[in-house]
Amino acid sequence: MSEPLKTTKTALVVHSDMSVLSAFQSSFVGKGYVAILARDLPTALLALTQHFFDVAVISSRLAEGGDGWPLAGVVHLIFPKAFVGVLTPETSVLTLQAAINNGVTQIFDAASNPDHVVNTSLSSQPTIPITTSSEPGTSVH
Amino acid sequence: MVNQPSLLIVDDEANVALTLKMVFERDGYAVRTANSCASALKLLENGHQFDAVITDLNMEKENIGLEVARAALQLHPKPAVVLCTGYASVDNSAAALQMKVDYMVTKPVDLDELKRAVRRLMAFRDSDPGK
Repeated sequence: MSEPLKTTKTALVVHSDMSVLSAFQSSFVGKGYVAILARDLPTALLALTQHFFDVAVISSRLAEGGDGWPLAGVVHLIFPKAFVGVLTPETSVLTLQAAINNGVTQIFDAASNPDHVVNTSLSSQPTIPITTSSEPGTSVH
Repeated sequence: MVNQPSLLIVDDEANVALTLKMVFERDGYAVRTANSCASALKLLENGHQFDAVITDLNMEKENIGLEVARAALQLHPKPAVVLCTGYASVDNSAAALQMKVDYMVTKPVDLDELKRAVRRLMAFRDSDPGK
C-alpha cells in the first residue's frame, strides 16, 4: 500500500477519557494537523483502515477492547514511518520492553501535558510545509 | 542456490551462542557467532552484512551489547537488531528504546518467541525499502 500524495498531516489519538482526547485534539489542530480520535480499540482499528497517519498517541490502558500496546504495534506495522507515542502510567522494564517490541517511538507518563506530547511527537516529523485547501479539522469516531 | 538469511549472534557464553546458532541454522539461517562486543564490532565494521543481529547485553562490560546494537543500527541496509538479556533495567531498556532497537527478549529465552520475532522483523524489513 503506497501512501497517497497529501498536504495535511494526520494524527490518531486513542484514549478512553474524552477530556484527554479533547486536550490532544486542541493541541494537534492548533499545530495544523487533522486529529482522528478513538475511545476504544475497535474504533481505532477502523480508523487505521480509513486514514494515513503520521503520528499516533495511544493510551496503554484502554477501557474497552483492552491493551494499547498491540494497537501501537499494529500502527507501527501499517505506518512504519509514523511517530508512535504511548501514554503509560509507569515506566518500568516491562513497559519499556513492550514499547521496543511494538515499535513504539517514545513512551510518555500518562499524566503528561498533551502539548508536551504533541510537541515532542511533531519534532520528530520531517519538516514539509503544510499547505491546506481546507482547514484542518477533527473527526470523532 | 537459495539465498539464506544471515544472522549474527553475539554472546560471551559460548554455549548460548552455539545453541542459538544450531537453532537458527536448523531454520535455514546462515549464522556467524561472536563471543564479545569487540569481535562483533570487527565483523560489522569489516563489511559483513547481516539480515539480523542478536546480541547479549552484558559481555566484557555491563550494557556493552548496546554498542553492538548501535553499530548494527548504523549499517545500510540496516539489520533487524534484537537485544537478549537477563539483566534488563529501566536505564538500559530506555537506552535501547531511544536507539530504536527492534526487539528485546529476556533470558531465559523463549526460543519460539525469539524465532517468531526474528522472522517477523526480517519480513517487515524486506517490505520496507526505507530500511
